[in-house]
Amino acid sequence: MSAIAAKPGANAGAFQPVASVIAIILAIIFIGVAYFLGNSGILAGGAMLPAQTLVGIIVGAALIAFGVHFVPVGGAPAAMGQSPGIATGVAMLATGAGLAGLFGGAWAASLGFGVALAGGAIGGGLMMAITCLMVNISYVYGMGIPAASGKVEKDPITGDSQAAYKSQGTEGHGLPFISYVGGVIGGLFGGLGGTLIYIELLDFYNASFPALNIAGEGASALAVGLAGIFAIGMFLVIAVLSAYNITGTIEGPHDPKFKRFPRAIVAAICASGICGLVALLVVAIL
Amino acid sequence: MQEIIIGIGVTALAGALAAVAGAAEDTESNIGSQGDPNSQVQLAPQMGYTHRIYNKAVSGEPPAYTLWVTLACGVAWAFLMMNVNAVLAIIFGTVLATFVQGIYATTAYLGRTASLSKFGQPVFIDVLKSVTTVTMGHAFVAIFTTVTACYLMSTMLHHPFALPLLGIVWGLALGAAGSATGNPYYGKERQYQNQKFGAGVPISASGNIVRYAEAGQRSSIDNGFFTAKLGGPASGLCFGLIVFFELWRTVLFEQVAGGWGAVIVGVIIILVFMIIDRYVEKWARKNYGPYTAEA
Amino acid sequence: MSVKVEASHDGIPHNKVMGMGLILALVSLYIAVAASYAGIQYLAFFGGIAAVGALIWGNSTIKKLCSYGIGTGVPSAGMLAFGSGVIAMLFAAKLAVISPFIVPIAGLIIALIVGLILGWITNSVLNMKIPVMTRSIAELAAVGCLALMGLTVVATGHVTFAEITSINFEFLGVSMNFYDVSYIGAGIIAVSFMLGAIALQHPFNACLGPGENQDRINMLTIECGFLSMIVMAVISFAFVNSIAAWISLIIALIGWYWSYKKYFALSKRDAAAWLDAKPFSDAEE
Repeated sequence: MSAIAAKPGANAGAFQPVASVIAIILAIIFIGVAYFLGNSGILAGGAMLPAQTLVGIIVGAALIAFGVHFVPVGGAPAAMGQSPGIATGVAMLATGAGLAGLFGGAWAASLGFGVALAGGAIGGGLMMAITCLMVNISYVYGMGIPAASGKVEKDPITGDSQAAYKSQGTEGHGLPFISYVGGVIGGLFGGLGGTLIYIELLDFYNASFPALNIAGEGASALAVGLAGIFAIGMFLVIAVLSAYNITGTIEGPHDPKFKRFPRAIVAAICASGICGLVALLVVAIL
Repeated sequence: MQEIIIGIGVTALAGALAAVAGAAEDTESNIGSQGDPNSQVQLAPQMGYTHRIYNKAVSGEPPAYTLWVTLACGVAWAFLMMNVNAVLAIIFGTVLATFVQGIYATTAYLGRTASLSKFGQPVFIDVLKSVTTVTMGHAFVAIFTTVTACYLMSTMLHHPFALPLLGIVWGLALGAAGSATGNPYYGKERQYQNQKFGAGVPISASGNIVRYAEAGQRSSIDNGFFTAKLGGPASGLCFGLIVFFELWRTVLFEQVAGGWGAVIVGVIIILVFMIIDRYVEKWARKNYGPYTAEA
Repeated sequence: MSVKVEASHDGIPHNKVMGMGLILALVSLYIAVAASYAGIQYLAFFGGIAAVGALIWGNSTIKKLCSYGIGTGVPSAGMLAFGSGVIAMLFAAKLAVISPFIVPIAGLIIALIVGLILGWITNSVLNMKIPVMTRSIAELAAVGCLALMGLTVVATGHVTFAEITSINFEFLGVSMNFYDVSYIGAGIIAVSFMLGAIALQHPFNACLGPGENQDRINMLTIECGFLSMIVMAVISFAFVNSIAAWISLIIALIGWYWSYKKYFALSKRDAAAWLDAKPFSDAEE
């Protein structure tokens, strides 16, 4: 079997109603378990805090999954000017932007919830904005190739015609403006989601440590370390699941594959539910 | 006030280090032919084109560089805990990371080439010996500068993340930025230099990579000289700008409007880059014109 | 990627490799846990052996999964494994308050459960519909968890949550806990995370091609495992006493050198030709 002959054509993008409903029910069960554990004192913070934290984590994961679908990725053909998009893997590029956002968000965490989230989003968007610009500069000034999409006749934002600027024998190349904007939006959502997961976990761990007799100057560093590695691990899981949903390459929000995003959001909700629940249980009062 | 001045100095230094890191990273991954262009190096023997290019199939650049930088940060931290001088600790970490990188590169080349024996692609031991050491040299520069930038962010700018966590963040960003900017330049311009300039490679030409140079059969060492012309500096500029603006907007504007100052400045910077990109796109369309049928 | 992936049909069946890897990992982890419970620091290197066992299992799983054509590259599977494995491992480490001896088994079970849910999501919600997907992702999560535990033991000598989150010092009769220089507080878990993630997918990815051979891939897996152990042994100098760290480092170096030499010889056996500064002969010349 060839690695690129991935899936049989027609139903590859179809939404799975039964499985999705089961997934959402599972996620609600996980939130319920968190509420129950908080109520019974196994998780610190009373009844509401664990459940609130888990809901925050789930929302963050959904944002990440949504954002990954905006990022224009062309894969191996893009490296030869055969298809539009960035010549890297979906999961890794989205994670790179999201973690750059997490860097900014973690730095602003002490200034307040809203500021930290906004900082995280801007960090991710900024990284994608600069990267996409340099990709276009490399194509235009280094290789003499204008940007052109292979999936639409006209760019949805600028109205530029695409077909005439597409070289023969290829599917398009570079980053047309819609792909650029898609990349920035993807970075924004990724940074936002990642920072949200991190801040929720950080607040929960800081609230739980006194009950576990962890106190002193180093305790906040431990909370940061725990929340950080969990945020990174969960980001990678969600990004890889979203990449499986996209099956390889996507040109941006104008690509027909973009319409598959509801599946990824449902998948992210359920996956982050179980991962988040286990992350909360790490500081259980046993 | 003094905090801000020190912060700006560190920001400038970290930005410069990041620019060097980006350039070295792209040069290294092109010499070793890592990442997406490597699929052509893998494909060529299957289409009958034997070659002497280094087939360095170590995942993609983002995860690989995340590993090298994180492990260098971790080892540097261990040496710092043993009260070794900071610069020396970072050097030790980078040396171990470069060693691991070199080993992974050799096993990848041997593995992929040995599995292509059906198509008659030989293992060239002289390519292994000559190219591996060159990639390790460039990797050393890239890893050292990134770890130093992470160290500065941790100690001088007081970022809450521990050193290895910063290593994951910036190693991944380095690999993603360098891969995005530098891969098409290497993949299209050097690998397919025999195709027409100014157009993408037609799908029918897959596998027919450039295997001969001025003096006969080439290896991928000359990708270094080629990358230094545009791909390397462009990747360096990309990563340098990312690090610089991320730090600059926070250090200068975090105290303004309770933290929202940094956010507003970030939005302005994104919009500026968007305008520049639109200008570049329109410039290309105006100056290159649409593709016409061959006369 | 335009690389043809074909499952190699000969060789040891996956279930047998899984059994060997799992038993090696669990036995080594239990020896290490018993040693840390008894206060002996010198057997920390068994964690590296455990990591090698887990990686052998995981490499066979990745081979099985990726031969079905999942549409994305091989490295993503490694990231998925360790992303879910780190969560399971930390929870299992927490359960050590009940008893340190349940940590390896608890980690295995929790990782399998998390992996099963993730695998079910991938197969049903994302409609990948690959027959082995659910089981493979469950196995990968378990591999991630066990490999992380193994590398943690090499670095710190312990697997319990209390030990990897705080360093305890007796100062003038007062016991003080330092959290920010511990294994988790200083972020060293990030190093084992990345080491394992790359080591898991590298053997299959690097030997991809029509001529792949199972014994060569397995030898490369062992080599990657020992290479990761070298790095963790160097880091362990900051956590365990220097004699124990030197023991881990020397064993890792010997193991790595042996497996690298054998891998080199196996590649020589399989290559079409082994040329040193000779030109290739082109059919078109």
